[in-house]
Amino acid sequence: MKWLLALISLSLLAVGAASAATTDETMADEAVAGVAAMKQTAMTETAQPPAGFVDRPIVALDWTLAETLTGIGVRAMGVGQVATYASWVDQPALPQGTRDLGLRTQPNLEQLAALAPADILISPMLSSLAPRLSAIAPVTSIAIYTPDADTWQTLVKATRQLGRLTQREPQAEQLIRLSTARLAGYNAALRQQAVRKGQSPLPLLMVQFMDDRHVRIFGDNSLFQAVIERMGIDNAWQGDTNAWGFATVSLEKLVTLKGRMVVVEPLPPGGHQALAHNGLWQAMPGVRENSQASAPLFLPPVWSFGALPSANRFAALLASHLIDDEATLEGETTDGNH
Amino acid sequence: MATTEQAMSARPASDRRPLHLTPGRACSLLTLALVVLGSLALNREGLSLMQGLTALWASPDFSAATSLGQADSALLSAQLVAHVSWWPRLVCALLAGGALGMAGVLMQQVLRNPLAAPTTLGVASGASLAMMLATLFAPALMAGTGLGGDGFQLGREWVALAGGLAAMGLVFALAWARGMSPTVVVLAGLVVNLYIGALGMVLLLFNQEALHGTLVWGAGSLAQNSWDGVITLLTRLLPGMLLALVLMRPLAVLDLDEANARSLGVSLRKLRLMSLGLAVFLSACVVSVLGIIGFIGLAAPACVRLMGARRLGQRLLWAPLFGALLLAVTDQVVASLDGLLPNLIPTGAMTAALGAPLLLWLIPRLKMAQGAGPASHHGMSLTHRHPRPDRLLGWLLAGVCVALMLALLVGNGADGWTLGADMLQQLMAGQISVLDFRLPRVLAAAGAGVLLALAGTLLQRLTSNPMASPEILGISGGTAIALMLTLLLVPSPGQLTLLGAGICGALACLALLVVLNHRSGFIPERVLLCGVAITALYDAVRGIILADGDPRGQQILAWLSGSTYYVGLSAAVGVLALAIIAVLLVRPLARWLDILPLGMASASALGIGVTRARLVLLGAVAVLTALATLIVGPLSFVGLLAPHLARLLGLSRAREHMLGAVLCGALLMVLADWLGRQLLSPYEIPAGLMASLIGGSYFLWSLRRS
Repeated sequence: MKWLLALISLSLLAVGAASAATTDETMADEAVAGVAAMKQTAMTETAQPPAGFVDRPIVALDWTLAETLTGIGVRAMGVGQVATYASWVDQPALPQGTRDLGLRTQPNLEQLAALAPADILISPMLSSLAPRLSAIAPVTSIAIYTPDADTWQTLVKATRQLGRLTQREPQAEQLIRLSTARLAGYNAALRQQAVRKGQSPLPLLMVQFMDDRHVRIFGDNSLFQAVIERMGIDNAWQGDTNAWGFATVSLEKLVTLKGRMVVVEPLPPGGHQALAHNGLWQAMPGVRENSQASAPLFLPPVWSFGALPSANRFAALLASHLIDDEATLEGETTDGNH
Repeated sequence: MATTEQAMSARPASDRRPLHLTPGRACSLLTLALVVLGSLALNREGLSLMQGLTALWASPDFSAATSLGQADSALLSAQLVAHVSWWPRLVCALLAGGALGMAGVLMQQVLRNPLAAPTTLGVASGASLAMMLATLFAPALMAGTGLGGDGFQLGREWVALAGGLAAMGLVFALAWARGMSPTVVVLAGLVVNLYIGALGMVLLLFNQEALHGTLVWGAGSLAQNSWDGVITLLTRLLPGMLLALVLMRPLAVLDLDEANARSLGVSLRKLRLMSLGLAVFLSACVVSVLGIIGFIGLAAPACVRLMGARRLGQRLLWAPLFGALLLAVTDQVVASLDGLLPNLIPTGAMTAALGAPLLLWLIPRLKMAQGAGPASHHGMSLTHRHPRPDRLLGWLLAGVCVALMLALLVGNGADGWTLGADMLQQLMAGQISVLDFRLPRVLAAAGAGVLLALAGTLLQRLTSNPMASPEILGISGGTAIALMLTLLLVPSPGQLTLLGAGICGALACLALLVVLNHRSGFIPERVLLCGVAITALYDAVRGIILADGDPRGQQILAWLSGSTYYVGLSAAVGVLALAIIAVLLVRPLARWLDILPLGMASASALGIGVTRARLVLLGAVAVLTALATLIVGPLSFVGLLAPHLARLLGLSRAREHMLGAVLCGALLMVLADWLGRQLLSPYEIPAGLMASLIGGSYFLWSLRRS
């Protein structure tokens, strides 16, 4: 019998560790930090929100909505998978004191009810949960990624809607204005640069590695597409994409496409070293030609299903690589998050 | 009547209906197909046959490319793709198919089991779990590529090898006590596959983003990006294959029976260990480089045997060849589909999906050692018989009640552990209380436990096989396939749609089982093997869906892992009520269940229409399983575990066994659900997974006992 108990506890340990585990050590550290933060939250529940934030009695189960709320300076009572949010959305970081409500697809109902929020924000993907959630509090479903809709307009609409819900309309308008202005600024800067240099920027191939042979390539309907469209850059991927704006393809599909690679990290296992051994990667026109203008760009992780804050971040990261003139950038780098 | 049927199908197929397809002809046909498909593929890339062939050895030179025109540059690109991707992919497919075919022959020869293969013995899934764990906890292990620049580095294939060996060891340990009979080995393999699958599912549920790469890999995509994969495979597979040829002569001795072989002076134990080790090594190498390639290892040896390659030497020659060509042709077909759909179609999962029907076709043509009599009677024999079963049942009932109270009252919330003392006040005041959330889940868990335990008891008594369980019948898998497809194809489906789809899936599965087994009189072993095939199909469909990385995958995962989360109060009460009605309905069948395990002849002599009884009982099992699957998902070991526990406690007569199992099932599920909700709060481990973890651990423990 002892044996049985030992085995069960072993399996559970594995599971427990797994829940905190993420891709690499730094992420594991973040997860630990996240757990520590959660513990602190329990103690300092009544603490004031951090500067620039106001408390609202709502919960957001979806990361995209949580990100937008953070962007307009709202601290929600709870968000799903707070620890993993830190590894995958990263910026803007959730304000201290946001309660972790468990898996996004299966938020902990008992704890949700104990928080007694005034509103529960979900994405349509969770609509099957709506009947159960609405017993706890009114549920608002906000669609961000819908096929056949202009992604940017949906993002703007969602931001406005969230601003209304949280009585933060001015901040929401400011976020929209800043984002639009920032992208327009980049657009202008890129056009000036093109005139000066006599060549416009290459179309982009925006990818995220799944393993060393497969990438997600972002096209129509994706956040990244919406951003570069506004920056006046073309997407070199004209193939089909799913409702979330990406297709999973093997690398060989990209060799024949003319365009500059934009790799959103994380890299496949082995990192840059593995890429050096990757024959197909080495065959990519940009890698092969070894020229400044077409060399692949590596960007730190950006939440690819994000909202305006992620769009801003992606745009800024991209611009820092594409726009040489520091002066043009100066005016734009004010943080548009609040 | 059924006996004659069995005798017929027990004979090798070729005696009855000679096949004109010899292995040589089949291989030539496949080669022809490969050449046609290959040249078509090169043509699609914009290369002539000659240009494509030169790309095999020559890497195109881009140094002068800047001065070249658009057309030349495109040609060079195409040649480059052919050189670093198309050719390595083709060679990899050939090598992997060959290695898997050879591994299959070795396994089948050593175990004298026509269904032994890397996938059925759990090697592939063990390797896959090991690699998932390594990705999460020791990423350095995964980056290694064998002998590295700075000394010896453990590479991926060693991680995979360790996992594969461990899983196969587990399968053998499970099957050992039952005399390693072919069916038992395959069922043990399925149990291990399910257990490992459950563990992997928990990892995935909490780390979907981090493990996405393993999902693509797990589905077995053959895409290559350099010759590295080929070189890795070649350096490991060639020595392995040569060793297999050396082992050929001693291995042929295994065709004789044990006593004869021993009298020839062959150390059987060493020989078996070596050949099995070699087979696992071959498959682990393939798994570590390319991912899980389903069914080639099973199909290639089985097909060449059916085509008339009977002697070991013939099989060792033709099976790898046939396997290599089969995989390469499948891969070419998949690759040509690739451009038509936005989804990624992994070849490995595709071969598994194609292999499942093949297995279904193969099963009636296999020689069955047993079928009529009590197959493994010692497996059903009792450790002891409880002197007063009624009192024991009373205790169990009390246990269930205590567990119910515990699950309703005690919880680990945001403020630590609480006893729901204020619950009653809240209820009185008409406020929302934790009871609103806990009651449906506890009731549903209990109901699902009862349903599965009942189905499991029926199945185990019906088949005289203690390894049988409703998950293994494939009904769970069929239900799951239907639900996954509904979640993907119907935009935001409601609960009712899902329920309807699930029932349709279960019925379709049941119909398939009935059609396939009607003529053979529902021989339990054969029915179970059909279940294995359906479960394999489910694995393949899941692999394809998850590999594409659709964000809805998270939702599908959540459902597949079997949580009581989505059950409402009315549904929960309904399930429990149905469960209790089912118990009452099945009770009159207890006489059948007492007599059927005695064997066909005795049963007929006692006036039971065996085929009819089997059909009725199987139907009952299907309905019970479908209902339970809708609540706790396709993975859970309760149907396997509860009847076991009841028998261990000393409940032997069918009626008592059934009631005992039902109570054990309820107890297990309620506890699993409760534990799953508390351990990682606010995160919840789904009840189905929790039950499989407990159940799997129990299995390991019971191994140690026997």
